[in-house]
Amino acid sequence: MSTQIKPRSSTLTQGLVRRTHGDSLLKRLIIHGILIFSCIIALYPVIRVFSVSLRPGDRLLTTSLDLIPADASWANYQRLLSSTDFFLWVWNSLLITITTSIAGVILAATAAYAFSRWKFPGRVPGLMLLLTTQMVPATMMLIPIYLMFVEIGRATGLPLVGSYLGLIVAYMMGGVAFSIWILKGYYDTIPIDLEEAAKIDGTTDLGAFYRIILPLSTPALAIVFLFNFTTAWVEYPLARIILPRSEVFTWALGIRSLQAQFNTEWGTFAAASVLVAIPTMALFLWSSKWLISGLTIGSVKG
Amino acid sequence: MKKLLMLAALIAIAAVVVACAPATTNPPAASSSSSVASSVAPTAVPAKAVKLTIWCKEGGVDLDWVKATAKTFESKNPGVTVEVINKNVEDLRNDFQTAALAGTGPDLLWTVNDHIGVFATAKLIAAAEDVMGKDYFSKFVKPGNDAALFQGKLWGVPISAGNHLMLLYNKNLIKTAPQDTDEMIKMAKDFQTANPGKWGLVFNETEPFWVAPWIGGFGGWPLDDTKIPAVATLGTKANADTMNFLASLRNTEKIIPLEADYDGADGLFKDGKAAMIINGDWSIGGYTTVTATKTIDLGVARIPKVKATGNWPSPMTAGVYFLFPASTKGDKLDAAKAFVNYFVSKDVQIDFVKKLTRLPALTDAGNDPVVTGSAILKGSFDQMSVGKPMPVVPEMRCAWDSWKPNYQEVLTAKQTGDQAAAKAQAAAVDCISKLK
Amino acid sequence: MSSITDSKTTSKLARSPNIDVDWQGLSRNLPMFLLVVGVIWFLISFFPMQKALTTDYMVSSVTDVGNFLLGLVAFFAIIEIVLYIVLVRILQWRYALAYMLLAPGAIGLATLFVYPFIYNIAIAFSNRSLQHFLPGAYDYSLDYGITNFTSVFTGNVLHDTGFWEVFFRTWVWTIINVTFHVLGGLGLALLLNRRLAFKGVYRTILVLPWAIPQVIAALALRGEFHYQYGFVNNMLVGIGLPRVEWLNEPIPAFIAATISNIWLGIPFMMVIILGGLQSIAAEYYEAAEIDGASGWQQFRSITWPLLQPVVAPATVLGTIWTFNAFNVIYLITQGGPAEKTDILVTALFKAAFEFYRYGQGAAFAIVIFFVLFSVSAVYIRMTGALKAVTE
Repeated sequence: MSTQIKPRSSTLTQGLVRRTHGDSLLKRLIIHGILIFSCIIALYPVIRVFSVSLRPGDRLLTTSLDLIPADASWANYQRLLSSTDFFLWVWNSLLITITTSIAGVILAATAAYAFSRWKFPGRVPGLMLLLTTQMVPATMMLIPIYLMFVEIGRATGLPLVGSYLGLIVAYMMGGVAFSIWILKGYYDTIPIDLEEAAKIDGTTDLGAFYRIILPLSTPALAIVFLFNFTTAWVEYPLARIILPRSEVFTWALGIRSLQAQFNTEWGTFAAASVLVAIPTMALFLWSSKWLISGLTIGSVKG
Repeated sequence: MKKLLMLAALIAIAAVVVACAPATTNPPAASSSSSVASSVAPTAVPAKAVKLTIWCKEGGVDLDWVKATAKTFESKNPGVTVEVINKNVEDLRNDFQTAALAGTGPDLLWTVNDHIGVFATAKLIAAAEDVMGKDYFSKFVKPGNDAALFQGKLWGVPISAGNHLMLLYNKNLIKTAPQDTDEMIKMAKDFQTANPGKWGLVFNETEPFWVAPWIGGFGGWPLDDTKIPAVATLGTKANADTMNFLASLRNTEKIIPLEADYDGADGLFKDGKAAMIINGDWSIGGYTTVTATKTIDLGVARIPKVKATGNWPSPMTAGVYFLFPASTKGDKLDAAKAFVNYFVSKDVQIDFVKKLTRLPALTDAGNDPVVTGSAILKGSFDQMSVGKPMPVVPEMRCAWDSWKPNYQEVLTAKQTGDQAAAKAQAAAVDCISKLK
Repeated sequence: MSSITDSKTTSKLARSPNIDVDWQGLSRNLPMFLLVVGVIWFLISFFPMQKALTTDYMVSSVTDVGNFLLGLVAFFAIIEIVLYIVLVRILQWRYALAYMLLAPGAIGLATLFVYPFIYNIAIAFSNRSLQHFLPGAYDYSLDYGITNFTSVFTGNVLHDTGFWEVFFRTWVWTIINVTFHVLGGLGLALLLNRRLAFKGVYRTILVLPWAIPQVIAALALRGEFHYQYGFVNNMLVGIGLPRVEWLNEPIPAFIAATISNIWLGIPFMMVIILGGLQSIAAEYYEAAEIDGASGWQQFRSITWPLLQPVVAPATVLGTIWTFNAFNVIYLITQGGPAEKTDILVTALFKAAFEFYRYGQGAAFAIVIFFVLFSVSAVYIRMTGALKAVTE
């Protein structure tokens, strides 16, 4: 069996080559039909949220099934952007989320490299331990983490609670387990011959990591970044406990303040929901070329 | 790698130097954002410079009013800065408990009275009558004070009395309000015959809070909170009759929709597809400002008398209260008391009525023409006067949680009222015994 | 058996300082990125109505975060230096670098998970309740622990529901969801893995459920199951079936929550499987076609086995996440009606935050953890599902 090392750009064609010939017109029509149907299912609830945002008067449910309500207006968006602190919340969320994602990727990339390239003692238990961190029900973590951050804050003077520094730390660590698993799997598919050749030429271990492994694993890095981003972007319970002041609210906390106990401002809430989905979608679009083409968490086993 | 380590060492040394220097960007225990509402307290602090943190359950436009009024307070009390933080009611309860554990709680709470039982039992708040003195409370309406009673003491300073359910009707659809339940059923049926596709009556069918007025009308009540610990009284004929009655509205008389949660009922009424709705005083603002299509001409009345007993249904009254966390002391406590005094003063209370359309707790404000002159407010006040205070004891939670699923089953005709009442009682008793 | 190592490619990669894929792309995108940032800054500063976000604040918040990160780097730098001295210089251990690479992540994880776990164990052995709430008001003992743990299994974890019913339901929930996630993701990925018009559009739209914040998606889906106004019922009526009381009846409520969770979870699987599909070399399929294998045979003997390294870890993780999936059930049914859709984690939440049963809640949490742990361990061992990963 051959161990093939091709420059990554050709992996795009690998899976595709097989499929181009032989698809009859009927088969293609059916495929398009199924996909269109799936898209409608995926899209419909989202459009409903959008239509709530266009409806004046905070009506969550109405009798009409019109997607664009008869009295549609941008009033909710205007109110959201001009009389709430929406920009502030989004700024806070962006700062927290981007920092978390970048730091998380860095942390996971280095740790995953260790897991992939060395059979050190404690390796398999370590991997399993990562898995177990995912098994802990989140509710039981909230209060102890908060208490711990408060104590650390008191002892060191770091405002872990009361600003979003503690949140960044918590988010970073929360996504590490999944990130390490994905990245390790990806590193495993990169043959070690490449690094060995580089080391013969005089590069250090870390140099090989930086020059060879990282560039070749941009797809996996992208997916890890995306995952950390989406998780941190929408997180609510921990943010609620840690962030006390409205200046440092994330958007999730901010739009919660639009909800009175019974009298939610549904229109503004929906408008905010639509707007905060945009960064995530944009990120998806921008990184999709990395995500899909060549995400090879698999090995052509010899 | 060595180069990397040396670089790391350099950064480490640099960071240590920066951190240990007289800190300007990262002072210990200071917040990270320095603009907007926080005050920059210089090192020589005049004795009266106090920062007050208040957690307030009001959201949306109501919150805006609170913040604006707090700013006025600040201008009248130089040296005191106030930070109003909004917390949704459920969140407020959870977060206050967590924060109290860590010692990072707020200095004052603006919240609903059901929290009194929880916080007092956990010893997280100080009794308001201890803080403000017993005589302080004579200027508030009786339901306002009653709803803050717990174990014989008054625990909160009332801001607004009410939070009660009432009958709201759309005068465009139905001219007058029914006086008793038979009339209500008839009016609803006539309306539905004349307007197919619309409903005569809607209300939130998922929460037992909406059952409470009726059980009062049938002569019962979910909890007897004069005893310690409170005793559940859900296993009564009154409860069975109540649930059967509501189920009949749905299944026999068919004047209410088969499924309606809060937003569903609210949406129907706002769309002009329901003639009457049973909803609370907090919702009035939303109905009087329905824009563009202007479907609602709002009328307010008491929930109609129960024909079988001749009693007015007694919705649970509650209110919004100032609560004093046990950790607030010294200067902060003084500032908090000043803040409370300001907000319950007559002018501010009248402004409260005007802007938030809710009933004031201050008797003087209640007698002011701004209340007595408005048909809506007068109707609301009428309803409140036949209301009963909602029990604030923690056992009430058990009552709600036990009542809800069984009530649902009666509505959907899976149980009879008697079975449901018995089961609810059993579950409530079990839950209360576990509260120890 | 030839091992084709393109030595030219290898040394080229090792020696060239500019690796095509990443850095040049970044430098091409940088001006665009700066432009976007500039436009946004412009909008924010001059947007007439917006007040709260000032340039001051933006600068100060970035500075604070930057300082903090610097501090973190310094902290880890010190640790790395110590490790270096100990492991490399003194012990000269061959695995020194591995441990140095692991150190930051390991320390972070330990801090974040170890303390809370111990905290919960402590509370599980205490008599903490609403009456004994603050530290100092409650104490610890073995007796309390035994009571708490036994009450999880013998008493009611909710008002009327026992542990085993919720436990059983959680497994049904997990298995159904994960099955459909994988099948749905697989199906869509297989369809998309070909030259197709509008492929990019399909992919983007199908990823939407993952991109939308779960809270909003859940609320929207809940609206679709509304008896009167929801799309689902109106569609049923359209094809002549009666309306279903989705949220009022236990089984329909469970189905509604399940459908919603499936809707939310398929895109993630689809993306992962799609990537995995594209790593399978074309040669296999070509050889199979020459041998006359049918589509299904090709799937069974080429596609599916070669997907395992991708699908297996994703499935394991997906199972764990679904088991602990709090948001969907809480937002859509709140565990109702009558606690008939509660799974273990929502029951735990209610026990701790709504019924104030702190001691029992902590014990409950530990029980849930161990259940998940043991079942996963058994599954992994039995099926060797993670062999590919741990080798």
